[in-house]
Amino acid sequence: MFSRSRQSLPLIYSAASKRLLKRSPCVGSAIGSIRHHGGPSVSTNAPTVTVHFLQPDGETVKSVPARVGESLLQTAHRNDIDLEGACEGVCACSTCHLILPQDVYDNQEEPSEDEEDMLDMAYGLTDTSRLGCQIMVSEEMDGIQFEMPKATRNFYVDGHVPKPH
Amino acid sequence: MISASFFGRYAAVRSVAIITARTSGFITSGRQIVCPPKRIQSFHSRCHSTTASTTSNANGDAKPCSVAIVGTGPSGCYTAKYLLNAFDKKSTTNSSGIHIDMLERLPTPYGLVRYGVAPDHPEVKNVENDFAQLFVDSNRIQFWGNVAVGSDAVVSLEELRELYDVVVLAYGCASDRKLGLPGETSLLGIVSAREFVAWYNGHPYFDHIGYEVANALGNDNNDNPKHVVIIGQGNVALDCARVLAKGAQGLKDTDIASRSLPIIGEDGVANVTVVGRRGHIQGAFTIKELRELTKLQAEGHGAKFVVLEEELDLGETPASKQELEQKGSRPKVRINKLLRDAAAASSNHDDTTTMDTKQVQLRFLLSPKEFQPSDADPSAVGAVVCERTQLEGEPGKQRAVGTGQLETFPANLVLVSIGYKGTPLPGLEQWFDAQRGVVQNRGGKVDEATAALGGLYVSGWLKRGPSGIIGTNIMDAKDTVVNIMKDLDASNSDDSKSDAREKLLELLQQRGVHVVSWSDFQKIDAKETSASYKRTDQQPREKIVELDEMLEAAGVASR
Ligand SMILES: Cc1cc2nc3c(=O)[nH]c(=O)nc-3n(C[C@H](O)[C@H](O)[C@H](O)COP(=O)(O)OP(=O)(O)OC[C@H]3O[C@@H](n4cnc5c(N)ncnc54)[C@H](O)[C@@H]3O)c2cc1C
Ligand code: FES
Repeated sequence: MFSRSRQSLPLIYSAASKRLLKRSPCVGSAIGSIRHHGGPSVSTNAPTVTVHFLQPDGETVKSVPARVGESLLQTAHRNDIDLEGACEGVCACSTCHLILPQDVYDNQEEPSEDEEDMLDMAYGLTDTSRLGCQIMVSEEMDGIQFEMPKATRNFYVDGHVPKPH
Repeated sequence: MISASFFGRYAAVRSVAIITARTSGFITSGRQIVCPPKRIQSFHSRCHSTTASTTSNANGDAKPCSVAIVGTGPSGCYTAKYLLNAFDKKSTTNSSGIHIDMLERLPTPYGLVRYGVAPDHPEVKNVENDFAQLFVDSNRIQFWGNVAVGSDAVVSLEELRELYDVVVLAYGCASDRKLGLPGETSLLGIVSAREFVAWYNGHPYFDHIGYEVANALGNDNNDNPKHVVIIGQGNVALDCARVLAKGAQGLKDTDIASRSLPIIGEDGVANVTVVGRRGHIQGAFTIKELRELTKLQAEGHGAKFVVLEEELDLGETPASKQELEQKGSRPKVRINKLLRDAAAASSNHDDTTTMDTKQVQLRFLLSPKEFQPSDADPSAVGAVVCERTQLEGEPGKQRAVGTGQLETFPANLVLVSIGYKGTPLPGLEQWFDAQRGVVQNRGGKVDEATAALGGLYVSGWLKRGPSGIIGTNIMDAKDTVVNIMKDLDASNSDDSKSDAREKLLELLQQRGVHVVSWSDFQKIDAKETSASYKRTDQQPREKIVELDEMLEAAGVASR
């Protein structure tokens, strides 16, 4: 039996979380402490641009101020946009999936292998899908519209059903 | 966010209950802890007050509502979250309110996030922080732990439906699909992956599984390398394979229960073979979990990942190739490539693969036919005989058909991982699809049930079957919430069962049930995360695995 004494042992992360920690500087340990909407901590007086979120109904558009340097997931959460971030921005859940306009998609750095792997599980995947927690707001994004995956009413009947379990 | 002043402003409230699943197995193996009435009174005070409940709605706006949600896994929590959202949207101009009581069989919330998700996937469990936010405002929403719905000694489904305006069943799956092979239930050493996972994750009802696993992996008094055969190829199977391959060494700093480490061994298990009936393009696993297996060796866990090129070739029928070209096939295409690369890598190193090398094999097109008893102990399993299959049929509908060719895999332990399965609570049988293990519903509404008593709804694995990731429960919960809201709007009764919470408390009090409140759970959480209780500093927590100890830590019962 392992005793419950305190020993100092090296922390084991998956390669995924290690790399992500590098990517999102303010994301602390992937284990333990409570963090919300992980991502870079961007000062409240950072320059802002206006971005639009096309809602899952495919009609409503919500326009919100985005701080340059934060992730689109952070923008969404600061502005009460209904985008989930179940893993708190560490590329482990795909609930922050957004669809980018082609040119914005093309201007991004290539998604990492981990992001690609998570996108494979995303509901309503398209060719220009990305994870909102991995896309950082830049000045060029002023006026850009990001699309949230469409809600299908009977999604489990006629939609994509991931079957990993 | 729900402001603390919400109830100052909005007096009228309807109550809603969400329930989680129980199986006969769980109820019998789990002790139902009862307590003297004074314990219950203290639950009342620990939970803050329930004074906000009134029935009248002066403005005639949206109706108040009481809701019980059975189960506090992702589906119960997301249902609660979106119900609150839906009421908030309506409540800006009126004085309606909602009371949600979340009833959970265990003293701890979060369902399979706590007791299913692999210990080496801590990032996935970050969602617990989001769910915890729900319980901050104890007026609108309350956690009722250690309340197993469906047991006469606690509260029955019918009683809940009498008490609450709306009952949402979100109790998940407490059973499994069976292969139906002789020996499956009688030979020792054959365990369902569901039970194995619950055991290593520290679920209080599964301590006994440790004895069977220990027996299978350790007690033949020799150092022969051990063999585990895992039947089924979903992510649960891959999680089990990875945990067994990593062993204690690779898992010390996770929240895996300490009770399991000596049993899976310092270096883990030497030979893990994961077999599936169909080909690699039909596998139910996703790429993240597959990639982790391919990296076990590179990341220092010493286990070689083996895939056989010839099996990939066999699986690449013309129909499979078409499947790879269909719309939406991107995940399959990427899995195919990863497996092809892995097969090439494993054949390059064939000379180094001996029985001494720890390995995880992923084997396709093999259907289990028979369990053979061990020579040493005829009451225990010794091998699994599989039949080679071939794929037949149209793209997307290919079936694995036996070829008559047999292969025997030695096995000290067999994990059957062919799917979780839901079971009905007493009183739910008539609306239950026993074949699929789900409650019959339309958009989450249990149609037939709704007429007589209050509304009955379902969410999560119990609604759609055991598939999908945590995120899948979001859309699923929204679907159920839309229909609850629609029904509430359409109902012309103005009467809300606004005293549901008090009445439930009274009932549980009479029956001597020790209810674990949110703040009681905080005490369990504090103990589990305290430095003195953890085995290493890096561990996020060490779970308390005994029910009595949990209740003691919660302060609701003493030994
Ligand atoms: C082994 C495993 C690993 C997984 N790993 C991942 C992963 O890495 N990432 C991911 O996205 N998804 C993962 N999933 C999927 C995810 O866990 C499920 O999608 C999700 O948990 C389903 O939620 P649920 O609320 O329907 O059921 P559950 O999570 O099972 O919740 C049901 C709850 O109801 C309670 N309950 C049962 N009976 C009663 C009763 N009678 N009265 C009161 N309460 C009751 C249970 O105790 C439990 O808390 C995994 C699943 C499994 C099985
Ligand atoms: S928040 Fe989980 S992947 Fe982006």
